[in-house]
Amino acid sequence: MARHMGEQKKETVGTVERKMTDIVMECRNLSKIYGKIIAVKDVSLKIGEGEIKLIFGPSGSGKSTFLRCLAMLIKPTKGEVFLRGECLTKSGVDLNKARARIGFVFQHIWLFHHLTALGNVELALRRVLKLPKKEARERAMQALREVKMEKWAHHYPAQLSGGQQQRVGIARALARNPDIILLDEPTSALDPELTGEVIDTLRDLAKKGTTMLIVSHEMPFAREVADEMIFFDEGAIVETEPPEIFFTNPRSERAKIFMARLIKRTRRE
Amino acid sequence: MLDVVQQLLLMLGGVYTTLSVSILSFLLGLTIGLPLAFMRAYGSKPFQILIDGFEKVFRGIPELVLMLLFYWGIGYYFRTPFKNPFFTATFVLGLRSAANQSQIFRGAIRGIGEEQMLAARSLGLSRIRSVIHVMLPQVFISSTPGLGSEYALLVKDSSYAWIIAVIDIMAITDWIRKGTGDTVTPYLLAALLYILLTFPIATWLDTWGSRKKKQLGL
Repeated sequence: MARHMGEQKKETVGTVERKMTDIVMECRNLSKIYGKIIAVKDVSLKIGEGEIKLIFGPSGSGKSTFLRCLAMLIKPTKGEVFLRGECLTKSGVDLNKARARIGFVFQHIWLFHHLTALGNVELALRRVLKLPKKEARERAMQALREVKMEKWAHHYPAQLSGGQQQRVGIARALARNPDIILLDEPTSALDPELTGEVIDTLRDLAKKGTTMLIVSHEMPFAREVADEMIFFDEGAIVETEPPEIFFTNPRSERAKIFMARLIKRTRRE
Repeated sequence: MLDVVQQLLLMLGGVYTTLSVSILSFLLGLTIGLPLAFMRAYGSKPFQILIDGFEKVFRGIPELVLMLLFYWGIGYYFRTPFKNPFFTATFVLGLRSAANQSQIFRGAIRGIGEEQMLAARSLGLSRIRSVIHVMLPQVFISSTPGLGSEYALLVKDSSYAWIIAVIDIMAITDWIRKGTGDTVTPYLLAALLYILLTFPIATWLDTWGSRKKKQLGL
């Protein structure tokens, strides 16, 4: 079923015309340099409405840094970031307003310890979107329902399992109805038996046509939902292809070696 | 000769002053110490050096020396307000407490870490709103045990104020000793009173804070 839905979505979104007009997020020649270390090197990328792109590559290859640059959580050293055509990297942009339109899910989740699941999701609705209490509560509950966590609304993060915490983390990111959700290895800090529930949540979001850029090494999931996969190494994009190509015959030697290793590992699991 | 009950009743007259000096200096310490901790954590280098200097000076000098220095030394040049013993005692204890509380809060900020701040900023909260809604509540919970000890320290150290003629528990104790020649009972009673004023609150704050921290995984 999920597979079928995924294909349907691709048909509607995948047309060239749609991609040209509805670019949600774009970066041009983005670089991030720390002293002598080049963490991100000259990366350009476009994500269209309803598209799901998946970034993968060796650890330490700058994927996280790149994602944080896109969310303007780190200031890029060079290059431009656009959100719905609006340039975020020029001076004088209200970055708080821009960040409010970008959902971000962290690898280590980072829920607010002192707030319940509901409180975590509600915070931005109340203090960023400035919704009245009742409306904020309703929308937060709605977001928790989407990740199937409404029963746990009044639990504190410390009382939840890692998988449940990450689902709240996803609800927190999507409650504001952001233009795009960026997910930084949302399952890699979890125990293997807990990744499934998070992947299911992401699959649900994919079915609803949520625009997402995901850093992940969950290959079966990638194959199922990604419109495009991006192989990242040494701070730069090495190869961009539809999943099928990566799984059958990647062009670059580095991607070939990396894919072989990943598929072996996934099989073992 | 006064009996134990009469002595105790006399000394109770000093409890109000002891508590006033302690609580007011605690609040002064909080008002100065909390912003200092955040400025130390997020401010620029010169700020950090300045705040470190302030902390070193006020934590390094004995309370008694500070009190006499402000009362006699600085009070010589600025009679108002420093020749008011109650003011000077509260002020000096408050500054030292600011230095202590700044360190307590800074430890809590460091413990909570940059991640919470980053998560807050990712939602579109401004820096100041992130501090108010995400950092502050956690900083307070984390700091509660430390703040309990700080309060106990202030109640105990407020007894130095007797030397600049603040009429607190200690001052009355000394009067009774002088007046009656009883060198044992007044001090025992004073010891009891100080324990009663510090122990229950400090212990309660410590237990509550530790339990809350554990519960929230802080």
